Amino acid sequence: MRIAVCIDSRGGMLFNRRRQSQDRLLRQDLLSEAAGGPLWMSPYSREQFSDPPEMVRAAEDFPRRAGPGEMCFFEDLDPALWLAEAEEVVLYHWNRTYPSDRRFPLPLAGWTLARREEFPGSSHEKITKEVYRR
Amino acid sequence: MKKRNRALLSLVLLLALLAGLWYLRSAQGGPQPVRPPAAVDLESIPPFSGEPYVALADNVPSFLPGEMTTSSYEVYSPLDGLGRCGAASACVGVDLMPTEERESIGQVKPSGWQTVKYDCVDGKYLYNRCHLIGFQLTGENANKQNLITGTRYMNVDGMLPFENMVADYVKETENHVLYRVIPVYSGDDLVAGGVQIEALSVEDKGQGVSFNVYVYNVQPGVEIDYATGESWLEGESRPEAPETAYVLNTSSKKFHLPACSGASSMKKENREEYSGSRESLIEQGYKPCGTCNP
Repeated sequence: MRIAVCIDSRGGMLFNRRRQSQDRLLRQDLLSEAAGGPLWMSPYSREQFSDPPEMVRAAEDFPRRAGPGEMCFFEDLDPALWLAEAEEVVLYHWNRTYPSDRRFPLPLAGWTLARREEFPGSSHEKITKEVYRR
Repeated sequence: MKKRNRALLSLVLLLALLAGLWYLRSAQGGPQPVRPPAAVDLESIPPFSGEPYVALADNVPSFLPGEMTTSSYEVYSPLDGLGRCGAASACVGVDLMPTEERESIGQVKPSGWQTVKYDCVDGKYLYNRCHLIGFQLTGENANKQNLITGTRYMNVDGMLPFENMVADYVKETENHVLYRVIPVYSGDDLVAGGVQIEALSVEDKGQGVSFNVYVYNVQPGVEIDYATGESWLEGESRPEAPETAYVLNTSSKKFHLPACSGASSMKKENREEYSGSRESLIEQGYKPCGTCNP
């Protein structure tokens, strides 16, 4: 399983059961990262994709359904519970501070930064993508 | 009886005027139906415990169905008799957002303003001129009805994350967000104990943005006297309040600065010179004059 998560400057993911932010160009990048395989997510996350391509698969228990090497986009489920089974973690940093009541466990102990890229979002000045591997 | 009726009529007219003021200052689309909000009771807020904000009413905002609109607007309360800001409301849309750089706001001195520095504060200055509705949402600069005395901690750790969330949501979706900020004061305090912030995204009925929080106007490591804005380091004794000259009206129980017109026109038998702290006068039951704001 490959885990993809969006976080703010404090590692926050959600506030009041809602995503902190969203960005059209980040969604495009996520689809590119998952190219060649399915992109798993919850029904809540799928609502972000107005016309989801066939590779997008939504299910309440999507982490259980994902096979090895398949990308899972976590928003309203806690990715920390699945870190032990993951081969890769893709962190998208908003580079903004938002309120949060669910946070991603940082730093990622035992993981190595394999790749870092920056790109402008559609409504975010700079989004940083970090890819960690064991 | 006639006198009582006349007094009642005056009261009704005053309330109508105050309600009318809530309809003013619409940036887009004419006056909006903004309900004067109920004040949060500070007694019901849990004490600060290390988190900059706390959810109110299960984080559910209190906007009414009739307040839902897709026309952008911004409304600010007139300052009260103590020179304090009241509620500020907006329906934030991309058309309200700033298109130019922020201008200087240093000329505004919100109620309780003090210029004071501490090493333990990020940027040293304890107080910021805090926008009730952040500049990035409505582009307001030196609007004294939108600026309060707030700690650096409240401004940056407490209020800014909520403003960021709303601003980025509006920019990305081009939807609207109802947004209301209410400074919460205890009695005649010049500095708010905190602010209530509520927000609700309109077009998706709160699926994108929905919250109701109280943000504490505190600064870790610093004690604040909210009546005056005076402050001192935590663990140190409070500095002696400076003695100031005031003129008291022993009949109306108002106190004035010596140069105030209210002081010069006062009846001789009601007039009393006083030298001491503002705080001790308030403790004695005196209220500051609404004209000179001593």
